[in-house]
Amino acid sequence: MARTWSRWLPAAVVPLVIAGSVAFAAQAGAEDLPERSPGDVLALLADRGHQPFSGEFEQTSDVGLPQLPGGVEVPGGDGDAAAVTSALEALTSDHTGRVFVGEEHQARLQVFDTFGERDVIVNGSDVWVYESAENAAAHTTLPADAGDHATTGEQLTPDAIADRVVEAAVPTTELSVREDVEVAGRAAYDLVLTPRTDATLVGEVAIAVDGETGQPLQVTVTARGEQAPAFRVAYTLLDLTAPDADLFAFTPPAGADVEEVSPPAEALQGDETRSPDHEPTVIGTGWESVAIIEAGERALADQPLLTQLTSAVDGGRLLSTDLVNVLIADDGRVLVGAVPLERLQAAAGSE
Amino acid sequence: MPGEKSRTHGGALLVSELRVLFRRRRTWAMLAALASIPVLMAVVVRLSAEPPGPGEGPPFLDQVTNNGMFVAVTALVLTTPLFLPLTVAVVSGDAIAGEASLGTLRYLLVAPAGRVRLLVVKYASAVAFCLAASGTVLLTGWAIGAALFGTGEATLLSGDTIGVGDAVVRSLLVGAHVTICMLGLAAVGLFISTLTDAGVGAMAAVAVLTIVAQVLGQLDQLAWLHPWLFTHHWLAFADLLREPIVWTSFMQNALLQAAYVAFFGALAYGRFSTKDVLS
Amino acid sequence: MSATAPAAEQTEATSTELAIETSGLTKKFGQQVAVNGIDLAVPRGAVFGFLGPNGSGKTTTIRVILGLAAATSGSMRVLGRGVPAGLDDALPRVGALIEGPAFYPFLSGADNLRRLDAADRHANPATRDDRVAAALDRVGLAHAARKKARAYSLGMKQRLGIAAALLTPRELLVLDEPTNGLDPQGTREVRSLIRSVAAEGTTVFVSSHLLAEVEQICTHAAIMSVGSLVAQGSLADLRGSGQTVVRVTTPDGEGAVAQLRHLGLDAASVAPPRGAGRDLDVAAVEAPLSGDDPAPEDIVAALVAAGVRVRGFDVEQPSLEDRFVALTGEGFDVAR
Ligand SMILES: Nc1ncnc2c1ncn2[C@@H]1O[C@H](COP(=O)(O)OP(=O)(O)OP(=O)(O)O)[C@@H](O)[C@H]1O
Ligand SMILES: [Mg+2]
Repeated sequence: MARTWSRWLPAAVVPLVIAGSVAFAAQAGAEDLPERSPGDVLALLADRGHQPFSGEFEQTSDVGLPQLPGGVEVPGGDGDAAAVTSALEALTSDHTGRVFVGEEHQARLQVFDTFGERDVIVNGSDVWVYESAENAAAHTTLPADAGDHATTGEQLTPDAIADRVVEAAVPTTELSVREDVEVAGRAAYDLVLTPRTDATLVGEVAIAVDGETGQPLQVTVTARGEQAPAFRVAYTLLDLTAPDADLFAFTPPAGADVEEVSPPAEALQGDETRSPDHEPTVIGTGWESVAIIEAGERALADQPLLTQLTSAVDGGRLLSTDLVNVLIADDGRVLVGAVPLERLQAAAGSE
Repeated sequence: MPGEKSRTHGGALLVSELRVLFRRRRTWAMLAALASIPVLMAVVVRLSAEPPGPGEGPPFLDQVTNNGMFVAVTALVLTTPLFLPLTVAVVSGDAIAGEASLGTLRYLLVAPAGRVRLLVVKYASAVAFCLAASGTVLLTGWAIGAALFGTGEATLLSGDTIGVGDAVVRSLLVGAHVTICMLGLAAVGLFISTLTDAGVGAMAAVAVLTIVAQVLGQLDQLAWLHPWLFTHHWLAFADLLREPIVWTSFMQNALLQAAYVAFFGALAYGRFSTKDVLS
Repeated sequence: MSATAPAAEQTEATSTELAIETSGLTKKFGQQVAVNGIDLAVPRGAVFGFLGPNGSGKTTTIRVILGLAAATSGSMRVLGRGVPAGLDDALPRVGALIEGPAFYPFLSGADNLRRLDAADRHANPATRDDRVAAALDRVGLAHAARKKARAYSLGMKQRLGIAAALLTPRELLVLDEPTNGLDPQGTREVRSLIRSVAAEGTTVFVSSHLLAEVEQICTHAAIMSVGSLVAQGSLADLRGSGQTVVRVTTPDGEGAVAQLRHLGLDAASVAPPRGAGRDLDVAAVEAPLSGDDPAPEDIVAALVAAGVRVRGFDVEQPSLEDRFVALTGEGFDVAR
């Protein structure tokens, strides 16, 4: 049986074919985009018109915190403590989801869990939030002059994040354009924002700007001195046709808890780092800004989970990640910033 | 004689294989065990004083009382990680090794069944079993659900409401996804089955592999490996219950399972076509 | 692996002569040489006894010939087709019982046969039930056809195994220890079955260590010892290379020896035959008989004429057993 080895040939060829097709799919030609200066790319980004689309996105973060076990119940965990833990959860866990954008003021964001989903549906002045795990829906009607409020539901998408980063950071930032990238099968400029200051933990922010439409397709944030991004959100699939209009007409399912919330819509935004009662004050500008949240009724630092995650420093307890430092001051205030600890301590002292 | 030889009856072996599979009491015992899961679940929910609230118990359980169809979906959620793969491990692990340990393998081969033909037939019957197994869970779930809770509107994960017809389609899709999930496992089982003459050993190895793959899937340190585990998309059928349906994971799973079938099929061919049958 | 092109040319010539043909067939299990370069030649139409003590390599040879195991070296042809390349063509014409029967215990006898028949893609499904019934009838299992195979006795299983080998008309029947576990009645039936199959023109290749059985039914035989083929040929040839012996039982031992020597035979006294009374004063005298010696009846006449009283006179043909023991040794222990 001199030729028995040939019977094993398919077993050797199949993995090669699989590896080959995976590699082929991965590098399938990013077609060349015309050269553009950083300023042009920024203009492309800023001047993009309204574009209906549907897209799937993926958000990963690796900020150097241990992953919290899902569904951790903080004892007595209402109010601020719950807010902080859910903020931590948002920071450390990965998400996938979808965005649909229809006509102006029509948008739907879906964030997927293994067996659940959170939806935010904006249709004109109607805003619905639905949480499948609780089978609970909340509705609010935006005032007619609500303006850009409609997009507040999309905080997790590359679009929203890119806009916010650019708005906040451009004045104190060095702009450059790297080699073109391909995101969700589309060729994009890779606009890199590098802070001009050393007083921040952020090394760089890169925004992939669709070469054709100017839509941001991916945002990565890399901590100072790191290679791999600490945070990345990107479309994995993008379809530039208008989604079915039915998607924006939401009726809560029978049996759901429906809550009517009156505007202002902040409570709906799901931005858990601030509770509605305590508007944060921001000191400093650009990359160096620090948000200070006033003390709640409960001493945060006493929460067992937080004690585990934080370490004692001068003036309070520190929750340290690659990108963000959180100082829970002894007086109960919470200081957050993409800055080194010393700056947080200084900010705590200066108030 | 020479005249008859021109006509061949290649399909006869598959028919015979399916008959042997579905004549075995073992097969029926496994299907009955699978069927008992939706039945038990539905009866317990029915008898309990309070219907399960949202987020209580296994996924979709709270949906069951609105629409009996969801008994099938919840039962698939419960059976996919363990029971279903266990039965597939039994059938696929036993495919060649079981014949070897009975001694019938040598008689099939000198019949002659043809080694490649036998391998293909064995895989086909394992696929038939996967279909039968997930079909059993689905159909019993539908039947008992409709009987105890009736059919009605159902709520998707996205909060949208669908009618009975759409619910049937969605649960069929979930059944299809689960069946496809088992195809890769069946190919792995077939390969392991060609490695040994001890049927029980092969079954156990396949079952252990299923559990190991799921444990590896839980370890964040191995995130790079996760998309390549055959268990990676096993519970991704939730994506079929969103509005509109997310096809990404369904398609990725189909491709992944196809890759497993191709690779382990090729390994099984390499092994079985060069193996000395000494049992 | 033998090439296919020359195989096609030779098909006609060899297929008319040899049903099984091996040359230099060797099978090793790791270091152990189970079959050591054997050259078998099984003529068509023969009932071929494949003899050898336990562990001598009979079953291994059969497995290799039927393509279940790959030969380590050497080449072989079955029904004129090269092995393993031409096996798909040859095997439908071969019925086999290999190292005991094996069945699905949860299927009935008849269903087991249907299953094996379905595995052969050349078997016609339309005639399957009839053929199964006929095969069961032939081995005397018609009444147990619906019984589950797990409920079969050892002998019934053996019969069912033979029935499986007879499902379609075969050109070659390979039977490994076919009478294993059968009662005397069953053994006789198997013997007559083999004769009737052979009478239809089927070549029968039967491995056994029951010499008497082989002697009764075989036309040809081969003897294996420790993996090697030590003798092969027609039964007459095999016996012929042994010696015919005349044996005289007589009270006049010395006279008999003298008279036989006088006739030119190499006579010698031997121990008295079994069953002869101890109290009787009889002696046994034996002498090998070769072609140019006087005919046995003339020897008796000569003895009587010389006044030697003859109580008994035998002409013993050489037995296969003697030949077998001479070739494979007396010892009881398995050689390896
Ligand atoms: N699977 C195996 N692995 C290793 N050695 C084996 C294997 N099968 C058989 N052998 C060895 O090969 C030799 C020949 O065995 P085989 O079964 O062919 O003997 P046999 O002539 O059929 O004996 P018996 O009359 O007892 O059936 C023996 O020494 C045996 O130990
Ligand atoms: Mg043997």
